[in-house]
Amino acid sequence: MRTIRKFEFLNARTIDEAVNTLAAYKGKAWPFAGGTDILRMMRFQPLPENLYPEVLINLKTISPSLEYIKEEDGILSIGALTKLVDIANNALVGERYSALANAANKVASPQIRNMATISGNICQLTHCLYFSKPDNRFHCLRKGGSECPAQLGDNRYCSIFGDVNGCVAVNTSDIAPALIALNARIKTNKRMVNAGEFWDVRVPGSTILDEDEIVVEIQVPRPPPDAKSVFMKFSIRSSIDFPIVNGAALIGDGVARIALNAVAPKPYRATKAEEVLKGKTIDETAAEEAAIAAVSEASPLSFNKWKISVAKAIVKRMVLNTKSR
Amino acid sequence: MSTRISFILNGSRVTVDVEPWESLLDVIRKKLGLKGTKLAFCRGACGGCGACTVIIDGRAVYSSILPAYKVDGRNVITIEGLASPEGLHPLQEAFVEAGAIQCGFCTSGMLMSAKALLDENPDPSDDEIKDALRGNLCRCTGYVKIIEAIKLASKRMRRPAGGG
Ligand SMILES: Cc1cc2nc3c(=O)[nH]c(=O)nc-3n(C[C@H](O)[C@H](O)[C@H](O)COP(=O)(O)OP(=O)(O)OC[C@H]3O[C@@H](n4cnc5c(N)ncnc54)[C@H](O)[C@@H]3O)c2cc1C
Repeated sequence: MRTIRKFEFLNARTIDEAVNTLAAYKGKAWPFAGGTDILRMMRFQPLPENLYPEVLINLKTISPSLEYIKEEDGILSIGALTKLVDIANNALVGERYSALANAANKVASPQIRNMATISGNICQLTHCLYFSKPDNRFHCLRKGGSECPAQLGDNRYCSIFGDVNGCVAVNTSDIAPALIALNARIKTNKRMVNAGEFWDVRVPGSTILDEDEIVVEIQVPRPPPDAKSVFMKFSIRSSIDFPIVNGAALIGDGVARIALNAVAPKPYRATKAEEVLKGKTIDETAAEEAAIAAVSEASPLSFNKWKISVAKAIVKRMVLNTKSR
Repeated sequence: MSTRISFILNGSRVTVDVEPWESLLDVIRKKLGLKGTKLAFCRGACGGCGACTVIIDGRAVYSSILPAYKVDGRNVITIEGLASPEGLHPLQEAFVEAGAIQCGFCTSGMLMSAKALLDENPDPSDDEIKDALRGNLCRCTGYVKIIEAIKLASKRMRRPAGGG
């Protein structure tokens, strides 16, 4: 049986202690939230030796706790360590920020949602079939290698919007598109970042975070009263699976924001579709036009043209779903 | 560096030394000798099959991707904690009666998800039952009998014993 990679576990008591420890270990320490993504990685061991953490820093023990949901002055604040189950079941989130509640409810399975946190979800490692193979079988670009095996290989689930830094793996966070559509901000111990600028493609990380930086809070401005937000996800198994394409939209009251994920190495804001909808009444024609515009810049790889149709259908349905209140 | 942890397992306090990388599943099976919680094809890397499901503080979780270290001070229920000296749990009885078990490998995980559901929602709808079982795979039964069994147990548990 595959054995898990060994590591030390440190309980951080404060945000400062967590980030100071991260800084001291120079990339050899990683934050640990719900652990559902990180422990899989430590078991499968897809990375080369030099990239593994030696220490996992438990953020759960930070005081005051980073697990909370509150709304003040028109801003919803969610602590980084808040579990997805609690976001999915929160009445306030469900009512006013429904895309976020629905996205949280569509991540994996109840067991995962009972463990997984919002910060872990948005910081999960972007992966493809090759990246995930055990024992660094494919030393790809995101592991410090020199080529991307997916570009010429099995890329049926990969990006339809080109590469970022040569990588065509897709970001599979279900929470990410909801945060972008809802115009959320991500607060770290160092700065405040707009959700649209939070993701990146690095070796091996998937965010813009520095080695000694952690997410501490997610802030979502309350949408205008007559705007409606929706989330939609297509996956192979509907019961529990990563998204093949997902998306979120916030439309109405003069606002149109549409984001897709699992279609590119970073979450994809469908600005062309947003422009099409400006000043229009939502109907079948407008939704179809928006869907066409959303994928107008797609450039599929050898095996994933089909994902364009999926993305189009998702945009169209999301737009139509924001119509009925 | 191993750490001594102490938690409530099926109603009794246990104390055990664990390594930081050891999963709760490993500790339950290997160090505490309770083999009812299963490790499946994921070999601990989690494909979401649910065979390792246990209940911690009332919520169903996968024990294979939870460091044992994290259950210090908490309340853990495994399949071994379901039956009592008086007999099987109503869910177990209903699974047997409804024929909700074939090879049996998924059964302990299914029962734990079902228990977490009924503890929180004693009278779930079909859809609520399906939602609660989303993280549990069964490759034999086709789920229909499992859902029937949970409905049967829910009915019996809501009705006082001996009642019509
Ligand atoms: C069977 C299975 C199915 C899954 N299906 C889905 C799915 O459908 N949709 C989906 O979106 N995801 C899915 N996932 C991926 C993942 O488990 C979840 O997204 C989960 O939300 C991760 O959260 P966590 O708290 O467990 O993260 P962790 O594993 O604790 O952390 C994940 C990453 O984020 C970093 N991190 C965590 N918190 C912080 C912080 N505060 N600041 C900086 N970095 C941080 C960690 O260092 C790590 O690299 C699935 C996972 C499994 C095992």
